[in-house]
Amino acid sequence: MHATTIHLKPQGNSANQGHPDSTEPSVQAPVSERKPKVAIVSLTSCEGCQFVLLDLGEKFLNLVNQIEMVDFRLLEDLEDPGEALDLAIVEGNPVTSENMKTLLSLRERAKLLAVLGNCAAMGGIPEIKNYHEGPNTIKRVYKYIQGIENPEVREVDNFVKVDFTFPGCPVTGEEVLKYLPELIAGRIPEIPDKPVCVECLRKGNKCLFLEKKPCFGPMILGGCDAVCPTARMMCQGCRGLRKTGNTKAMRATLKTMMTDQEFEDTTEIYGLRDDIEAREQPGN
Amino acid sequence: MNIKINHIAKMEGHAGFMMSVLHGDVQSAKIEVQEGIRLIEGILIGRHFKDVPVIAQRICGICPVVHNLTAIKAVENAFGIIETQETEALRKLLEWAQFIHSHALHLFFLSLADFLDIENDLQLVSEYPKQAKQAIQLREFGMLIVRTVGGRVVHPLTNEAGGFKKVPTVEELQEMIQMGEKALPVALELGAFFRGVRVPDFTRATEYVCLEKNGEYAIYDGDLVSNKGLRIPVSKFEANFHELHRPKEMIKRVESDLKTSYNIGAIARVNIQRDKLNTEAEKYLGTFGFQFPDYNPFHNIYYQMVEVIQAIEDSLKILKNLGHLDLQNALSQPFEVKEGIGVAAVEAPRGTLFYHLDIDARGYVKNANIITPTAQSLSNMEDDVKAYLPRVLELPPHEREKKLRALIRAYDPCISCAVH
Repeated sequence: MHATTIHLKPQGNSANQGHPDSTEPSVQAPVSERKPKVAIVSLTSCEGCQFVLLDLGEKFLNLVNQIEMVDFRLLEDLEDPGEALDLAIVEGNPVTSENMKTLLSLRERAKLLAVLGNCAAMGGIPEIKNYHEGPNTIKRVYKYIQGIENPEVREVDNFVKVDFTFPGCPVTGEEVLKYLPELIAGRIPEIPDKPVCVECLRKGNKCLFLEKKPCFGPMILGGCDAVCPTARMMCQGCRGLRKTGNTKAMRATLKTMMTDQEFEDTTEIYGLRDDIEAREQPGN
Repeated sequence: MNIKINHIAKMEGHAGFMMSVLHGDVQSAKIEVQEGIRLIEGILIGRHFKDVPVIAQRICGICPVVHNLTAIKAVENAFGIIETQETEALRKLLEWAQFIHSHALHLFFLSLADFLDIENDLQLVSEYPKQAKQAIQLREFGMLIVRTVGGRVVHPLTNEAGGFKKVPTVEELQEMIQMGEKALPVALELGAFFRGVRVPDFTRATEYVCLEKNGEYAIYDGDLVSNKGLRIPVSKFEANFHELHRPKEMIKRVESDLKTSYNIGAIARVNIQRDKLNTEAEKYLGTFGFQFPDYNPFHNIYYQMVEVIQAIEDSLKILKNLGHLDLQNALSQPFEVKEGIGVAAVEAPRGTLFYHLDIDARGYVKNANIITPTAQSLSNMEDDVKAYLPRVLELPPHEREKKLRALIRAYDPCISCAVH
């Protein structure tokens, strides 16, 4: 077992607690003195969501200071000792049987399990293959396909219970800073069911619809600071459908801006297509 | 005797290493990939060209910018689009920012601990708080550029075939210049620290390959050259470098026409292009007093530091020059979609990244081939491990493993890219 300590800031939770000027994420001091045990693990993925965490720089290191990091292979060589966890954070898809073993074991060990990003939550880019050539896609890439694991890509919640989802491709750093302390303290936060448009309007962006450009903003869960429409890029739905997102109304609005083929292609990029189809099933 | 490293942490993606030694002779040294396949080239087939950079940059969370740039360049080459000088300047700026961001991460957070005998970065940060802050500050300059010009750090948004969806304002250019001017002395100071970090004295001759262009330290375009006399246009990449797929391997390796392994990345670029470095980068390189060619793979981390300084100097040059140009000319221009083949290569932080796209008359991809840096340098890394192993063979297993991990990590491999 190994405890991780950094000293960028004074040690101990109390030093950062309740300070009026403190912009640090606040973590409720646990009942005991024991720091919550956390593991951040990536399955098959680009690891971009973990880099979003690292890119938070000192803000992330300060948060790490308040936990015991049991496994975070991006920053440490020491083996995961396999102990019980308060929180497991999982990025990516279980593509290999080794990935699957890791995922199942994390669920078994952890009180709470959160998924980090679009791949784990919605299938992500790798799920595109499910919509087209499926397992045969491998023949486009490799000469010898024997012995290479090539399963259908499925979201993490098909295999284990997921307590919380950090949505997005990649996740939004500020959102991680907001909700991670809650999870560390053992509470499951809830992301407000607001569309991307709320933040987009607040930023004073000119709505893409006004230029007859397509955007999925109205049916997609906000919280990303509308980063894509702010860059004049349509929202392609990486954070997933809002609970109350109306996909049929969205299709109707977009009819004049994109073809059905373009709509469908775009919903495939972040694994949204299967969620839209499920919602549009009769009875839903 | 088999020597196995189960999992090499602190690099992008997952892999272990397996070596076999018989009576003191190294029989084999092979990487073991522990990453699943995503089949990015396969899923690009049938997609519209606009989706290509969006999907392809997600090969890698650490170097998405260079995948974005190369994918877009290949699309533009297929359609015969000529970028404006403003578009080119913004793209080069993004690329240098990627170098700063990626190199500073590897230098400090992934590789440095290996040479200070520390196994946990949080401990590293606590023992070297000043240098940690400096590395973070440098990364923040790189991130500011990618965020401002690209719209987001991980998986940028604004760059597309034809130009940029949005361009920075004059105030934003000023902000980047100010931060860059503060970053340069920080980089020089961190550089002086790295100059004092001792790495093993180990050499093995190899072939170095990178882009080269008249008059500048080439990262965005040029011809492919090597220290063994190669000089070919990027369009001949696949004729000279051959992807090989061996059964049960998830990485398609690449060998040169000489049927040997070769090396790329910072060490190759500095070996080949060192006479084109900017003032401060050149001065910093001079402080090491190395003889060239330099075949010590551990020196890759020093050369990454040289390139961080080079990147800051070049970013400042570009930013200041942009003040004299009309950035509106970088906004996307309409173009004709037509059938075509587009190839492109840029220097990624880890070496030459190559894309080949075959696009149909409607703008949909018929075929895609992506050759990443780590797929190219992997065989060279294995050859180095083979040559290095006898020197550490007699060490206690834990010590030996640490030494081997240090060599592997000095390459800054990206397994996510290599498998893709």
